[in-house]
Amino acid sequence: MRAQANPRLMLVILSAVFAFLYIPIGVLFGLSFNEGGLPTAWTGFSVKWYGSLLANDDIMGAAFNTLKVAVVSTVIATVLGTLLAVGVEIRRRKGRFLETIIFAPMIIPDIVLAIALLSFFSLLNVTMGLHTVIVSHVVFNLAFVCSVVRARLKTFDWSIVEASTDLGAPTIVTLWRIVLPVLMPAVIAGALLAFTLSVDEFIIAFFTAGAGRDSITLPMQIYSMIRFGVTPEINALATIVMTLSVIALTLSQRINRGRLPGQ
Amino acid sequence: MTQPLLSLRNIEKSFGRVQAVAGLDLDVMENEFFALLGASGSGKTTLLRMLAGFEVPTAGTVLLDGQDISNVPPNHRPVNLMFQSYALFPHMTVFQNVAYGLEMDKRPRSEIKQQVGEMLEVIQLSHLANRKPDQLSGGQKQRVALARSLVKRPRLLLLDEPLGALDKKLRGEMQLELKRIQHEFGITFIVVTHDQEEALVMADRIAILKDGKLLQCGTPKDIYEHPQSLFAADFIGFMNFLPVRLTQGQLRNAEGGIVQAALPEGLGEGESASAAVRPERLRIGAPGDANQITGTVSALAYHGQDLQVHIDTPLSPQPVMLRLTADAADADEGRQVTVGDPITVSWSAKDTRVFAT
Repeated sequence: MRAQANPRLMLVILSAVFAFLYIPIGVLFGLSFNEGGLPTAWTGFSVKWYGSLLANDDIMGAAFNTLKVAVVSTVIATVLGTLLAVGVEIRRRKGRFLETIIFAPMIIPDIVLAIALLSFFSLLNVTMGLHTVIVSHVVFNLAFVCSVVRARLKTFDWSIVEASTDLGAPTIVTLWRIVLPVLMPAVIAGALLAFTLSVDEFIIAFFTAGAGRDSITLPMQIYSMIRFGVTPEINALATIVMTLSVIALTLSQRINRGRLPGQ
Repeated sequence: MTQPLLSLRNIEKSFGRVQAVAGLDLDVMENEFFALLGASGSGKTTLLRMLAGFEVPTAGTVLLDGQDISNVPPNHRPVNLMFQSYALFPHMTVFQNVAYGLEMDKRPRSEIKQQVGEMLEVIQLSHLANRKPDQLSGGQKQRVALARSLVKRPRLLLLDEPLGALDKKLRGEMQLELKRIQHEFGITFIVVTHDQEEALVMADRIAILKDGKLLQCGTPKDIYEHPQSLFAADFIGFMNFLPVRLTQGQLRNAEGGIVQAALPEGLGEGESASAAVRPERLRIGAPGDANQITGTVSALAYHGQDLQVHIDTPLSPQPVMLRLTADAADADEGRQVTVGDPITVSWSAKDTRVFAT
């Protein structure tokens, strides 16, 4: 006879796992609203650390940089990644080698990619700054967007492309009016994923941002602040970043799982 | 003689070493309902895709209205294709699907609206104009696909297994519906099908394809009553075959009995052949007929509109099948056919076809 799983024991284990995962985040979340600012004592609810965050020019500058990097690299990666996915799918008979190369940036450890990009930029004598961070983020975001769109393409009915051609549409019109709208949920999901990854990416940005203060991104700013101890401002900042990330990821999954827009 | 709408001249198509279509000539006239009939792998779909422009012939020419269109891309041909999977655009409504082709022609909005409206009337789906394809039934999708490919009024409409995805009853209705629409629009239809019954019902003319070659082309009656090859005889409808041999200038069956029939050309003395007769041409106990066989009733299959009698006979490796209409079966009640009984069936010489084997 098979051993019956004890439901109560299962519940305890499940709770323990979730506690382990989420208690630190919960603590961080709580402390960001702690009046006194010390992790040792709760002195009352306050949003003053969010206020002082807004007043901190360094942090706001870094946040703005991160936004720039995330938006620009997401837009570029989404356009290129989608085209790449469609192109690869059309030529998929050429074998799996192409696929492996495309997805490599997803698998290669960040640190390796960071060093590689740094060496590459130095070799080309490129002055480093925010633009090099953007280019670097495009590299790995491209792979993520491409993989999300490719997954959608696996179930794509190519006969609608032929139907469009048959009805008189040139290739570019077919791409714009048929292929893109049908793939849109995956494209948006890929873009949101890319945006999220870009916002909290640290290692690659750290290596490719150069030395100037002008190109510091949010994760880099947090890192430099943390060297002098965790301040309540960082808790507030982390809470905001985390909330945004969770929203973006949830949206991304919802859109891609759901039906076509407008239905 | 008028010029054919479509002429295929020595069309060939190879994929690598595989030859899908092997030197094919075919003429299709204006306003014809034409069927390409063949089993899977006969090259019928490849042929259709060459007509639509999705495949370029390896050799030969495709003439439409006398113009060579072999290398014209699909979007520049006055030819439309209705896809087997329907290929409706999932993100567009029924109306938008039908309007798409007209938009590609850059027709004015008011004209598009009017034409799509009319087209939806024809297929009786006006009330569903704002639905998306996944909210339609199979039969409705099929109609939308038809409307979408018809609304541009192509010179030639190609239909790839148009009724393949429908259930049997709906298929019967749609066969007549397609004929009606074809007649109403006066557009030439070429339909690809593996269903010989469908081809017989719908088409004005049928071309039987086998291994990328044209085997026979003619009216349904022509093809059914005068098959020119053993394959065609076997492929279309049901056919009884009796092995025979030409001995002393006479066809003789396995037991030496004489089979009366017109001899095929080139059948030499001592050579074997197959004598074929349709089940509905066999009669029970008609002594005036030239040919007859005796056997035992091995099975009865009741089909409602007719009764099929299967007869075991030493003259044929397969049971011989005889088809009685409901009327004839009722009239025969006096000497009812029962399994296990001996039976003699006969048929006339003119209903017999002989094929060299």
